[in-house]
Amino acid sequence: MNFKHLLPAVALAVAALGAHSQAQAQDKLTLQLKWVTQAQFAGYYVAKDKGFYKDVGLDVTIKAGGPDINPSQVIAGGGADVIVDWMPSALATREKGVAIVNIAQVFQTSGMQLTCRKDSGIKTPADFKGKTLGVWFFGNEYPFLSWMDKLGLKTTGGADGVKVLKQGFNVDPLLQKQADCISTMTYNEYWQLIDAGMKADQLLVFKYQDQGVATLEDGLYATEKSLADPKMAANLAKFVKASMKGWDYAVKNQAEAVKIVLKNDASGAQKEAHQARMMGEIAKLVGTGQTGKLDMKAYESTVATLMKGKSDPVITKKPAGATTDKVFMASLK
Amino acid sequence: MVRKGSASTWVAGVGFVALTALSAGILMQVHGSGPRAQETPALWLALAAWAALAVLALNRLALLQQPKPLRLLAPALLGAALLFVWEVGVVGWNVPRVLLPAPHAVAQALSTRWEVLWPDFLQTAIAVLAGFALGSGSGLAAALLCDRVDFLKRGLLPLAGLAGAVPIVGIAPIMVMWFGFDWHSKAAVAAVVTFFPMLVNTLAGLAASDTMHRDLMRTYAASHGVTLAKLRLPGALPFIFNALKINSTLALISAIVAEFFGSPIYGLGFRISAEVARMNVDVVWAAIALAALAGSLFYGLIALMERGLTFWHPSYRQ
Repeated sequence: MNFKHLLPAVALAVAALGAHSQAQAQDKLTLQLKWVTQAQFAGYYVAKDKGFYKDVGLDVTIKAGGPDINPSQVIAGGGADVIVDWMPSALATREKGVAIVNIAQVFQTSGMQLTCRKDSGIKTPADFKGKTLGVWFFGNEYPFLSWMDKLGLKTTGGADGVKVLKQGFNVDPLLQKQADCISTMTYNEYWQLIDAGMKADQLLVFKYQDQGVATLEDGLYATEKSLADPKMAANLAKFVKASMKGWDYAVKNQAEAVKIVLKNDASGAQKEAHQARMMGEIAKLVGTGQTGKLDMKAYESTVATLMKGKSDPVITKKPAGATTDKVFMASLK
Repeated sequence: MVRKGSASTWVAGVGFVALTALSAGILMQVHGSGPRAQETPALWLALAAWAALAVLALNRLALLQQPKPLRLLAPALLGAALLFVWEVGVVGWNVPRVLLPAPHAVAQALSTRWEVLWPDFLQTAIAVLAGFALGSGSGLAAALLCDRVDFLKRGLLPLAGLAGAVPIVGIAPIMVMWFGFDWHSKAAVAAVVTFFPMLVNTLAGLAASDTMHRDLMRTYAASHGVTLAKLRLPGALPFIFNALKINSTLALISAIVAEFFGSPIYGLGFRISAEVARMNVDVVWAAIALAALAGSLFYGLIALMERGLTFWHPSYRQ
């Protein structure tokens, strides 16, 4: 037997073993974001770049979202292990049979608002009657529908209702006067309006938080199946721990966080000034309390808002088992 | 000979009854609370028997040519058979509703959401018809112009080719910005998309007239207009109808896709995008079924008109 022939095979086997054992040290995890790479997700990019995930033994792949990407559908299809999503969309998906559970709540307050042109004559929400309002869909329409229901305004148009437009993810309808008001986030689209040339005194802003119809936004969700697997549940706890560490760091070191986000932006479309403003606004939403803890009062308020719609409620029955504090508690250890 | 005929009719009759009974039985078993399809060998046997009977029946039916209405029997039964397989497969194998809903769920969604789906359909239909008329009309006019003016034929045709290659998802947001959120922008998109097929087909049709026939017109001292009206346009009709049939489905597709990019909260495209995000996949399929039905009817209408106006064409000979 010629041992020379065996040598490459042996070398290959040893290398494979070595690679395998190295892979064992870092467990893979995929995170699906709700939107494109921007400061809204700074905590996760900071955690990856500063090695917080590596420190807890995780190899995290961050998938950016975008238009037409619904994170709840991605996790339902097995495309991610953990997602960033808004609670209304997650609860609606849960009711449709996809068993996702909230494992951490990053944003404590809502950044959603309706921005109106002052020259449309609107001064208070009562003036919405007969006006044209732009709303995003794809899971972002639920807070708006609850608000209109609360105000008693039909969304089908007419003299005592409002005309609703499904707006795209830009601010042109307001600039071109195709709509009297459009949906904006405090940290993104509002500033796009300012950058496009509108002055703050030409705009009137109605924050959902002030109107009492706010719902919980960016939170982390995983499937019941993942949580039932002890190894996966442990990994999720480590993920939450490292991510919240990333968020704390990002809030305290905003300039550095912005640079990290820009470095990770594959499209190159984001501008530093815009991201810096976004980081400042996002820090306000993350709040000063314990980062990642789900406030059950806020959860109950969100559920109540979603169930209130008479004609088209977002969810028809109170969710059971939609949240868990096990992962968050494990992450504190 | 008479006995042989009546025996085969008896066999056909018995076979058809057996097929219907078997189908009903399988459906009841699958919809009942019994074990899943894989777990009962009896169900597998029944499905195998059903498949054999169905193939035999369709083979026999396909031979029926007279009287004329019976020709529709084979395709109709094939469609019903496919729906049956879909229903049994989805219900029997517990396919998740968000992946593929069963036909009965789609029919249910169609009936419960009809007050919403019908206005959606009307909104899209206005855009489709307006865009179809505008696009086809301007395509026809441009072709007549190109035919008359040689410089245009050599210059405009390649540019029109560019227009034909523009992706719908690219021009839709631009049209929304130019023409607003209502049906006008969707009609504009449909018009842009249907312009090129019409232009190209009409030009090909106008060039298709026989050289001998055109020479004959010249000997009659017929002007360009008379030759066009009496010889070349009628000869181009098969090509024009070809383009109209293509455009009928293209206009529907482009109007629905354009509605994804900004619309009021009604319209088939809006309904599909909003409901798919809410995971109401049965409503999505109901909207799709409605669009497919409308598209087929539109196509069929144009095909009927074609039959009436181009009856002389060799393709209609038996």
